[in-house]
Amino acid sequence: MTKQHYVTIKGTKDGLVLRLDDKCAYSDMIAELRNKVSENSLDGLAEVKVHIGTRYCNEEELREIMNVVHESPHLRVSKIQSEVITIEECNRKILENQSETYIGIVRSGQVVKADGDLVVIGDVNPNGRVVAAGSIYILGRLKGIAHAGATGNEEAVIAASWLEATHLMIADKMETMTDELTILSEQPEMECAYIHPNGFIAIDRLQELRILRPNLSTFKGGS
Amino acid sequence: MGEAIVITSGKGGVGKTTTSANLGTALALQGKKVCLVDTDIGLRNLDVILGLENRIIYDLVDVISGRCKIHQALVKDKRFEDGLFLLPAAQTTDKNAVTPEEMKELITELKRDYDYILIDCPAGIEQGYKNAVAGADRAIVVTTPEISAVRDADRIIGLLEQEDIEPPKLIVNRIKSRLVNSGEALDVNEITMHLSIDLLGIVLDDENVISSSNRGEPVVMDPSNPAAIGYRNIARRILGESVPLMSLDEGRPGFFGKLKSLFVK
Repeated sequence: MTKQHYVTIKGTKDGLVLRLDDKCAYSDMIAELRNKVSENSLDGLAEVKVHIGTRYCNEEELREIMNVVHESPHLRVSKIQSEVITIEECNRKILENQSETYIGIVRSGQVVKADGDLVVIGDVNPNGRVVAAGSIYILGRLKGIAHAGATGNEEAVIAASWLEATHLMIADKMETMTDELTILSEQPEMECAYIHPNGFIAIDRLQELRILRPNLSTFKGGS
Repeated sequence: MGEAIVITSGKGGVGKTTTSANLGTALALQGKKVCLVDTDIGLRNLDVILGLENRIIYDLVDVISGRCKIHQALVKDKRFEDGLFLLPAAQTTDKNAVTPEEMKELITELKRDYDYILIDCPAGIEQGYKNAVAGADRAIVVTTPEISAVRDADRIIGLLEQEDIEPPKLIVNRIKSRLVNSGEALDVNEITMHLSIDLLGIVLDDENVISSSNRGEPVVMDPSNPAAIGYRNIARRILGESVPLMSLDEGRPGFFGKLKSLFVK
């Protein structure tokens, strides 16, 4: 019986790809990977992408695969690519891409949170707080605190019909809106806040958003 | 079956107790049977403003703990023929002596015998507030034209909106027309816009409010006083009448008054 190969290395135009069979037992695959990596006759240091196909690996198993590959002094894992995710992860991703709508007034001491984008129809009063993992859009007056990209998304923006917040936060950046701030315009109508390439929060007209963050658009239309 | 209205503000010193006393009196003047409930346990004042302090025998905590019957604790205001009663707060125990469930039971019992039960709420958002709101069907939020009072009103409205009661209504108290007209104080429109709730009425600042409270006679008894007119209008709106909002210029000379003063010189 000829021995089946569970692990294959291929050179593609994107670099080395390590393809791991997804039908065999995990222990067989790891054993062969260890052999393959040690017999490798590469020079220097090569980056390698690992494809694990439709095998589901948990965090621990992924770490083991990485460690085994790293046993070779010539290989570095740049990315592990998988075709499957858990239901839990999938649900989280759906939530993150969802836009949630809150109709009402966010009053002093109240907090409104969303896992994805957040649309508020109403005012956010002083000391009221809106937090979203995605962007925040307010049809009303933002006079309180807004935190967009709360889980670290620096692309997130805060847009409001009336942007007069006391504190603006995007990802881990924060700006207190004091009077001496030059970014505060005299007419806070129809504006948006975003992270400027210089690393600070900037404010611009709402209309500039299509140029600043074209990726926020979820579909192309208008033809 | 009567209606229980809680009068609250969040911030202290904006005139909850004065408002309770005056609205209760105004409703009684309109011929309604009113019971005022002071829930500011430990810091009771409502009895003093109504001039009923020395007639208190039992209090709210006595009723709730079963030491007396409700009717024994109620203090009758002799100015009204069976129209106005006060259930005084206890002065010696603390706010935790009463639970929201007990309050609810008490207010439900009072609603059987009275047209209106006005609940005077303590300042703050802790136990005392929770007790006061527990039995209420409606809420009135009192604020003054100061930013700090408006902020606290916003907080309390947020909390009231979580409760199972009708949307709260606003009273802007102690308006100094001089400061509003000169733009130094917040104007009523600005406040109602900010809080986005219905305005129930406004009350002008008047020195007689303090002096009459000290005499134990609510200012609303004097029909010509500008603050009293404000309270009377609010009472009529509570009863369902539509009364136009009084203008801030009242009390200042009008066009003809000014014209007259020109000739008198």
